[in-house]
Amino acid sequence: MTSELSIFAARLREQISTWSKGLSRDSIFLDSHLLRNADIEFNGFALMLFNLQIACNEPYRKLCIARGVNPSDVSHWTQIPTLPTAAFKEFEMTCLPKEQRTRVFHSSGTIGQRPSRHFHNAESLAVYEASLWPWFQENCRLLMADCRLLSLTPPAGEVMYSSLVHMFDYARQKLGADESSFVGRVGSDGVWTMDFDAALAELTRESSKSLFVVGTAFSFVHLLDELVARNLRLKLSAGSCVLETGGYKGRSRTMPKPELHALIMDRFGITSQSIICEYGMSELSSQAYQSLKSGGTFHFPPWTRARVISPETNREVDDGQTGILSIVDLSNVFSVMAIQTGDLAMRRSDGFELLGRAAMSEPRGCSLTAA
Amino acid sequence: MNLPEYFLADLPKEAALSPALLMEACVTLKRNRESYLLRRTTDQIIRTLAGVAGEWLRAENRFRKLALVHGPTMLGFSRETLARGLDGFFGELTTEKFHAWIEQEFGDARRLDQLCSTEVEQQTSRAGIAHGPELLVHIAAGNIPNPTLMSMVLGLLTRSAQFVKCARGMTLLPRLFAHSIYEYDPKLAACIEMAEWRGGNLALEEVLFAESDCVTATGSDEALAAIKTRLPHRVRFLGYGHRVSFGYVAAEVLTEHNARKVIARAADDVTAWDQLGCLSPHVIYVQSGGHSSAEEFARRLADELAKRETIEPRGGAAQEIAAYIASCRAIYELRAANSASTHVWKSNDSTAWTVVFEADARFQLSCCHRFIYVKSAAGIGDVIHNADSVRAQVSSVGIAVPEHRAGDIATQLARWGATRVCPLGQMQNPPLMWRHDGRPALGDLVTWTDWEQ
Repeated sequence: MTSELSIFAARLREQISTWSKGLSRDSIFLDSHLLRNADIEFNGFALMLFNLQIACNEPYRKLCIARGVNPSDVSHWTQIPTLPTAAFKEFEMTCLPKEQRTRVFHSSGTIGQRPSRHFHNAESLAVYEASLWPWFQENCRLLMADCRLLSLTPPAGEVMYSSLVHMFDYARQKLGADESSFVGRVGSDGVWTMDFDAALAELTRESSKSLFVVGTAFSFVHLLDELVARNLRLKLSAGSCVLETGGYKGRSRTMPKPELHALIMDRFGITSQSIICEYGMSELSSQAYQSLKSGGTFHFPPWTRARVISPETNREVDDGQTGILSIVDLSNVFSVMAIQTGDLAMRRSDGFELLGRAAMSEPRGCSLTAA
Repeated sequence: MNLPEYFLADLPKEAALSPALLMEACVTLKRNRESYLLRRTTDQIIRTLAGVAGEWLRAENRFRKLALVHGPTMLGFSRETLARGLDGFFGELTTEKFHAWIEQEFGDARRLDQLCSTEVEQQTSRAGIAHGPELLVHIAAGNIPNPTLMSMVLGLLTRSAQFVKCARGMTLLPRLFAHSIYEYDPKLAACIEMAEWRGGNLALEEVLFAESDCVTATGSDEALAAIKTRLPHRVRFLGYGHRVSFGYVAAEVLTEHNARKVIARAADDVTAWDQLGCLSPHVIYVQSGGHSSAEEFARRLADELAKRETIEPRGGAAQEIAAYIASCRAIYELRAANSASTHVWKSNDSTAWTVVFEADARFQLSCCHRFIYVKSAAGIGDVIHNADSVRAQVSSVGIAVPEHRAGDIATQLARWGATRVCPLGQMQNPPLMWRHDGRPALGDLVTWTDWEQ
């Protein structure tokens, strides 16, 4: 069965490449004919993958049976049963046999909780990378000129389990940002810290290149606290940008997003136009970006669809209404593509606005960790 | 609602509260206490309270009607849940129970009026009188309304001027209660003031705390700790923090004849105030080895909750709460699909009720809003062992056990640290004389004068 998934993965990579060609023209969103075709194609891929995944992912298959879903009755991707992200903590949600799992991405998770585990092998990482790059490029293209990359995370070699760092590292390779640096460190307790002096050295270095600063929201909070403590206000070179992602998860004092962005603008000397927000998680293989042209809403690439589902009725909400963010990510080839996140969102046209976490905590106990 | 503007909480939303306004209110309250409340006897106050309570129990009472009309939107409980909660609360406020309560707390029903002695005091030639604080401030919580109403009753009995700081959006019932007291006895109501603001407003609270003699607060442990650090040293503080409760059903009571009744009682506890109070159960433990298994109990409880939904629906849950319930359900459904040791029953097309059976007997905090865990236990010792993680926070244990074993089980629970053991079905209906979190509610408010004759 995994060989069929391999064939699917190869086909999907080709399709992603085709879809990606339409991105820069914006035509995929504007032309209704193309949009309809993209829908049909997406649906075809989704149904095919659903059938493959229920065949080789036992806990997921059992969930589908328990929900009374018969695969032959599923004719549209919206009917595919979603799996809660917490399932990645309790079960081995993968189609990969043990011997093929060469890499695992963990969620950073809230302190004190078990992390999610998303298993990968070379093929699935290839899909991951094929998925991440075109959408990253599309959303960060104002920077695609010569730039230096400053990541506030530890380097990839130190945190092999981090999908986020894998992404930043892949971006570094693709950007050819050879003057890049990763200034995060991993403490003895596993908690990420930062080498502030190294970060400041990069931030203040004289260079003709613009700077692309990437990191999690909590790492920016730490860095900004340090800048405030040292009474420093920087002026990053023209064209410099910030990409921030993720929640705080108990690692720093929380700060509302507008306040964080205001502080970044103030201390880095950049405008709001130069701040990009990313939404991703270890359980997915695609990322959503908050693009300025879409008025601040998040969008996934064409091979990933997001819906906002009413927790009461389990049906998709209307535009402007809130619910749980549910995602079908075709590039999750070797795990489960239909994911129910723990995030609350508002449906906005063809995108979504993030409102925060739905779950205050998760069910404790793991009577059933799958072997 | 068209209520006259007797209290700060009656003012239009735009009317800004200021420290000066609060200071003025405190001065007025103390003056009114001096002029009116201190001159009342305990009997007179009890008559007023019992009279007002009797009015609230009548279907045509206008304050009750207003509560039932506006409660569902303003407080988030269905009309039926509110009606049951109000009946439970006001039904307790009778003259007899008030007298018995004061006697329980002070050994003599006249203790708040005059120097008097119990038999033991007489033998040692002593007498005593108890006085309430001059200004009592209540920082009320937002989950359910009854505790705030109870705080107001306590303050009147101890003849204290009272300022009730209501949680945001929760003024409705305290306001209506205060207005109903006003209608019955305006001078008593003139010794009560109430307002609403977001907790942590330092400027307003500083004035209030400085003027007070005693502050009671209900809320999260963090909120209580924050309040405590801001009180002047001389101010007495009574904090009621986060508590959890659970139920225990012994195998012997689940006979074919009796099981239906026991399940109905469990449903009473889950549905009362939509399971939002500290006295509501998170888990019902069912002893194994009886006629009916814990899983069977859970299935039948689900049937009962479905029935209750048609006659006493749950109130509307905020989006993030509904999402939280949906997230919890999703993971239990996945567990259930993969193992016989978990089973989930739930309302369709809503998050109105959920029953989760788990073989894992460890205590589990529920999402509340009628989301109940049913777990199997070998006996009360096993329950105590599995709930030990919340030992310091346990309030009530609702039990359904054979009469001849009840004393022994209550003793075990008492030694373990539970502060209240009550019949299943009565968890959210504590009697007036209940010792709140194990402390004498009236006794903790007063200061004594001892007279050694």
